[in-house]
Amino acid sequence: MQVRVRLIGAFRLERFKEKILDYPDGTRVEEIFAQLQIPRRALGTVLINGSHARLDDVLTEGDNLALLPILGGG
Amino acid sequence: MKFQTTDPAANPGGVLYHRCRVDLKSGELVYVEVPCRNLEDVLGGFGRSFQDLAKRKITAAYCDENPLIVNTGLLTGSSAMTGLRTYFSGYSPLKGSQAGLPAAMWSTGSGKFGAKFKWTGLDELIFENRSATPVYVVIKETADGPRVEIKPAEHLLGLSTHDKIMALQQGYDNAHFAVIGQAGENWQQNYMAAVALSTENQLKSKEDKCRFAGRGGMGSLMGYKNILALVAQSSDKLGKLSEAVKQVNLNVVKGGGSARIQPLSRGGGGGTWAAYDVLQEFHAVPLNNFRPQGNDIPEKLFRENVEPDYHIKSEACFRCGITCHNNISEKHADGSKGEFLAKFDYEPLNLLGTNLGIHDAGQAARLIQLGDNYGMDSISLGVTIAYLLAYNQRHPETPILNGATFGDYEKIRALVIQAGEGKLPEIAKGSMRLSESLGETAYAYHVKGLEIPAYQPETNPGYAWAIAGGHMSMATYGLLTREGKSDLDSWVKGITEDKLHIVGFDMIGLCKFFDIAKGIGTQMVVDCLQSEFNLQVSTEAIRAAVRRAFLRGLALEFRQGYQKAEFCLPAEVSENPNPHIKLPNITNPEFVAELEKRVWAIFEPELEGVLD
Repeated sequence: MQVRVRLIGAFRLERFKEKILDYPDGTRVEEIFAQLQIPRRALGTVLINGSHARLDDVLTEGDNLALLPILGGG
Repeated sequence: MKFQTTDPAANPGGVLYHRCRVDLKSGELVYVEVPCRNLEDVLGGFGRSFQDLAKRKITAAYCDENPLIVNTGLLTGSSAMTGLRTYFSGYSPLKGSQAGLPAAMWSTGSGKFGAKFKWTGLDELIFENRSATPVYVVIKETADGPRVEIKPAEHLLGLSTHDKIMALQQGYDNAHFAVIGQAGENWQQNYMAAVALSTENQLKSKEDKCRFAGRGGMGSLMGYKNILALVAQSSDKLGKLSEAVKQVNLNVVKGGGSARIQPLSRGGGGGTWAAYDVLQEFHAVPLNNFRPQGNDIPEKLFRENVEPDYHIKSEACFRCGITCHNNISEKHADGSKGEFLAKFDYEPLNLLGTNLGIHDAGQAARLIQLGDNYGMDSISLGVTIAYLLAYNQRHPETPILNGATFGDYEKIRALVIQAGEGKLPEIAKGSMRLSESLGETAYAYHVKGLEIPAYQPETNPGYAWAIAGGHMSMATYGLLTREGKSDLDSWVKGITEDKLHIVGFDMIGLCKFFDIAKGIGTQMVVDCLQSEFNLQVSTEAIRAAVRRAFLRGLALEFRQGYQKAEFCLPAEVSENPNPHIKLPNITNPEFVAELEKRVWAIFEPELEGVLD
């Protein structure tokens, strides 16, 4: 299946901004996350098709996945 | 502080703090060792000062009876990372109820002044009355304990925050400084003045890298009292780092709590600036007075779009490994660092940049720098100017003041300068007063008279219960955007249980980035108190003390005339919902009404007797 993956903020550094990637059916968010080698402590929010999601959510064909760093005040 | 107990929760009177009461009218100084009344007193900061403020019935901020309380927290000046905070408390000239009474307020900042102050041996200064002439106050350690001296300060009049610090540094070795700028000197016309705190980096580099206790006009109150500066002179007194505190400090740096604000080079998010990228994903970056348009305009101030043209350096507070500062300088043709401009934090960058229609990083940096040097709170300044620009946009035929509109850098710059110099009270007295004078209050982005930070109110109905600044005294600003919570149960729990605990950092002397998600009722803090002072305190006792302090703040708001109807978001949020924000609508009247009902049902019974 194909998933459009968008990386936000610092996650883009030395990776990419947005890509359409192929994954096996049943792939979970956390598998993609691990593959991208983003430090777990830096992950703030996962969005699937614009809605908040969890790392153990399963993706489906054509999903838009966005990975956002932690939001902080200042 | 003196510790005659190891159990301060059960025996708070066994902990004594060293206070000096300064009568600015008579020059009398009274030093007292004060036994703590409760654990809030032991922890310090606003937990202590609000108990003292509650004893006074103040009807106007500028009166002899309104004190300026300067204190520290238990861990200020300790080995615990981020233990640098100083607190300034008093009744605010800026924040006030519709009944016309000033609200109790505190403001805090880092820099090294707080640690130096603590190392003099003093824990608290209470300034009574006002001086007839401008003075500065020196606190220094002596063989006989801490001593306070009042000195004439005419030579400091008219200087910026940075220039005052540079001038004082000439006369005081081994010292740090807390000063006001011209804004605070013009307290009659400026209610939003900040107190600037010197940093090691500033004293070494001579660049204007202060930290600020900005919120609520504590710099204006200091100006009213005719105190232009405080000098804390002491040797550094850092004890040997224990294994326990070393582990805590490692956790602060390597744990999840500070990840987002550490430098990009360490795998962090790159400071609070990174909030731009996250909020833009929801089209929730404030633009043109908090009206995001669903476009990509805010991206112009993304770090990736600023970095090619400016030199950006990650720097840190004294002994802090978090390294959250993003210091922006001009960049020479060869890529080397040019003139220092400003520190890019999310709040000032947005509120003096995108939210004013300013999308050029250099212009935003210059506005931040100007506001800092005049010594004004960047949040209140930016939000009030944004209101004016919105008013002028709505009244193109009859604009007010200099007719500035969104994006007009030169006119906005002129507004900042005039406000800083005390020539523009319309701006410098804040958005509540300006909007009421113009009869258009719906789009004035303040809550209870204090301007909100750069998180859209549509994402945070919790602003209504913040007691001293919208995001740093009620940490619900990420509950919808980051955590995706849009149900009532989560919001009630967030406001009444979890997120109020952020104010614990404004008691104990630590920066919120120590562990912003969990607060101070944690094993890390327990370990620090055990190691530094041999105090045995449970996480439950700490959390209970923080809750009592928060509730005292709420009770004080009611005591100062606030009505429940004033605990509300700007009317525009519900009257004209923004269709561009890509998040569930949790500020519609039905949701808010139910939230209010349930939150007050929990808080109200607890407010009974909390000020007794």
